[in-house]
Amino acid sequence: MSNVTSSSIPLTPQPAGPVAPTVRRTQPRSWLARVVLDTVGRAGAKVGLVWIATITFCAVFAPMLANSHPFLLKMDGRWSSPMLRHLTPTDVTLLVSFAAALTLWALKPLRFAHKAGALLGVATVTLGLSLLFVTPPKLAVLEQYRQAIEQGRVEWAVWAPVPYSPNDRQRDRFTPGRPHPWQPSREHPLGTERNGADILSRMIHASRNALAIGFIAEGLSLLIGVFIGGLMGYFAGPIDLFGMRLVEVFSSIPRIYLLLTFVAFFGRNLYLIMVIIGLTSWVGYALFTRAEFLRLRQQDFVQAAIACGLPLRSILFRHMLPNGMAPVLVNVSFGVASAILAESTLSFLGLGLVDEPSWGELLNQALSAGGGFHWWLATFPGLAIFLTVCAYNLIGESARDAIDPHLKRAPV
Amino acid sequence: MPQQPLLKIEDLTVSFPADRAAGPRAFAVQKVNLSIYPQQTLALVGESGCGKSVTALSILQLVATPPGRYEAGRIWWNPPNADTPRNLLALSEKQMCQVRGGQIAMVFQEPMTSLNPVYTIGEQIIEAVLLHQQVDRRRAVQIAVEALTDVGIAEPASRLSEYPHRLSGGMRQRVMIAMALACQPRLLLADEPTTALDVTIQAQILELLRDLQDRRRMAILLITHDLGVVAENADVVAVMYAGRIVEYGPVHAVFRNPLHPYTRGLFASMPLLGKRHGRLATIPGNVPNPADFPPGCPFHPRCPDVRGDPQCSTTDPPLLEVEPQHWVACWHAPNHTHGQPAPPDVSYRRPSPASTANHATA
Repeated sequence: MSNVTSSSIPLTPQPAGPVAPTVRRTQPRSWLARVVLDTVGRAGAKVGLVWIATITFCAVFAPMLANSHPFLLKMDGRWSSPMLRHLTPTDVTLLVSFAAALTLWALKPLRFAHKAGALLGVATVTLGLSLLFVTPPKLAVLEQYRQAIEQGRVEWAVWAPVPYSPNDRQRDRFTPGRPHPWQPSREHPLGTERNGADILSRMIHASRNALAIGFIAEGLSLLIGVFIGGLMGYFAGPIDLFGMRLVEVFSSIPRIYLLLTFVAFFGRNLYLIMVIIGLTSWVGYALFTRAEFLRLRQQDFVQAAIACGLPLRSILFRHMLPNGMAPVLVNVSFGVASAILAESTLSFLGLGLVDEPSWGELLNQALSAGGGFHWWLATFPGLAIFLTVCAYNLIGESARDAIDPHLKRAPV
Repeated sequence: MPQQPLLKIEDLTVSFPADRAAGPRAFAVQKVNLSIYPQQTLALVGESGCGKSVTALSILQLVATPPGRYEAGRIWWNPPNADTPRNLLALSEKQMCQVRGGQIAMVFQEPMTSLNPVYTIGEQIIEAVLLHQQVDRRRAVQIAVEALTDVGIAEPASRLSEYPHRLSGGMRQRVMIAMALACQPRLLLADEPTTALDVTIQAQILELLRDLQDRRRMAILLITHDLGVVAENADVVAVMYAGRIVEYGPVHAVFRNPLHPYTRGLFASMPLLGKRHGRLATIPGNVPNPADFPPGCPFHPRCPDVRGDPQCSTTDPPLLEVEPQHWVACWHAPNHTHGQPAPPDVSYRRPSPASTANHATA
């Protein structure tokens, strides 16, 4: 129906020939991009990010860093790679996603949203494929390598830096007069826990759970909180009234007791713990989002978007959400810290994961094993929890400073 | 050719709660009648709080309900390709989404905040184009470039990837106009499009609007309180006071012979170039709060002409056609007693833009 051609008469004639290359040099950046850059540039955030990067590295490369299976093994004249043979679907997904993330990072022209989408796609596809095709042996006898060495069958082997799997329990090995846990020694730099597993190995593998708890639980509560808060703020009126009552109900639920109850009844399941932490911590995000949306609703550009005939979905999630996300995102990093603490608390109380390595569970053994106090079981996992929570809080503080207009011009 | 009005507002009444949601209601717009013909510019004039913006927002159903409420009235929308006029107030939200932006577009007062800061201007224009026109993305980019060229932005292709904060106020208003016009609307609602801009930019933007109106053959509802802008741009003037239209007529008639004391007050408070002034005349008092309009003529407490006339303070004067094509709502306007109660309807268009804008004020 565009019967009126719009560009038949150009109002301003365009200059012919090449345009002088002096007009604009800097890359245009969105507000959110500038906030992220400002955040990352601050000293606190740098320290925090270094630690989180370390944890992430440990989480992704855990099977390479700490494993009883050697990388390469020449035994009885045959070469094999037990480590690769025993990779789980989770390991494969993490490794492939990490490689994909690095590749996408290097691809400059793509937009952040597209990169994130591509990464999610790669991760999902890899997980699906690896669940089908990666089938590690169900039963892995970790003792076999030590026995083989004693029997002199191993001709040549390349071991992981920490040559113990997290569940390589040496309690049953014959160690007369030296019951576990052992103090830090040359063989076990951070000591062993009461079942004889290497603490460093368990801590490396536990970083996965720490990251997963933080991100999945907080991701869930972020989704719920932003959705409910957004609806409350945009529609106001009765929906707001109902939403606020919902917020009050949920904020009156004590999280730790709910976790304890559910774990007691439904068993110890990492995903259950994540879901419960997510379901009980969306309240803060909902309140933040609601306040932002109440403010944004009056903004001219939202009115202009409505006047342009954009559908509600686009107005809420494309036009309002990105403008109201900054204060919410600041709180995500505090939320991740508190989710990690919640899981550690649960494990410390002895109701955490079974068999899976966890920092809180190691901390728990510092006291409960035999009545004595084993300092290495308290210090190293405690330090890991402390540093991780600290790192997230540092990033959160930096992000808060970055979006605070009052601090914008303050000398750093 | 026989002309049908493009847009015809009948007895539009919009109310808001006076203080509490359930309490008495204040009438921001009361029984407003007006009609806009294709390619016509109708100027809605009045002080702040007169109901000008609410009238314009009602056309697109943009008044927030609640708290607002459409008490009465119909807004007939009759684009040239439609069979029968449609009542915009009766359309569902979904149907309105097609009218908004696609057939009727709106430009807001404040260009500094009317663009979304997190998207480039290209993304914002292209989103609107993709929504209202059945074109693919490549064509949408072309349309966006053409729209930016049309509003006189240099290097339009590279400007598409700029964020709004890197543009000046005048540039942003141009972008807003480009965005509004990218979908070829039949009617443009311009809510004080130049108020937030400095004077030289104001002139450029108004000239741009006139030029685009000629080329796109669209009508404009121009909301302003600047009578200079009215004199240079409008074909028809509707003066609003306290939610009502108090005077209505072709621009020359209203400027030559303002009949309502409020209109005369507006003219008297305008400085004239080349004339020595003492203090400028003012209209004493303020626009009454819609929550408690005075009984009778809402202007009577501020009216300089008549004091103590019991009719003014008891009965609201109706809007009557006192001369051909000139309506006024004032008991003391000449010939008001013999006026015709026809709804205001003027199809006048000035012959060519910016022809004879003489400030023939009272």
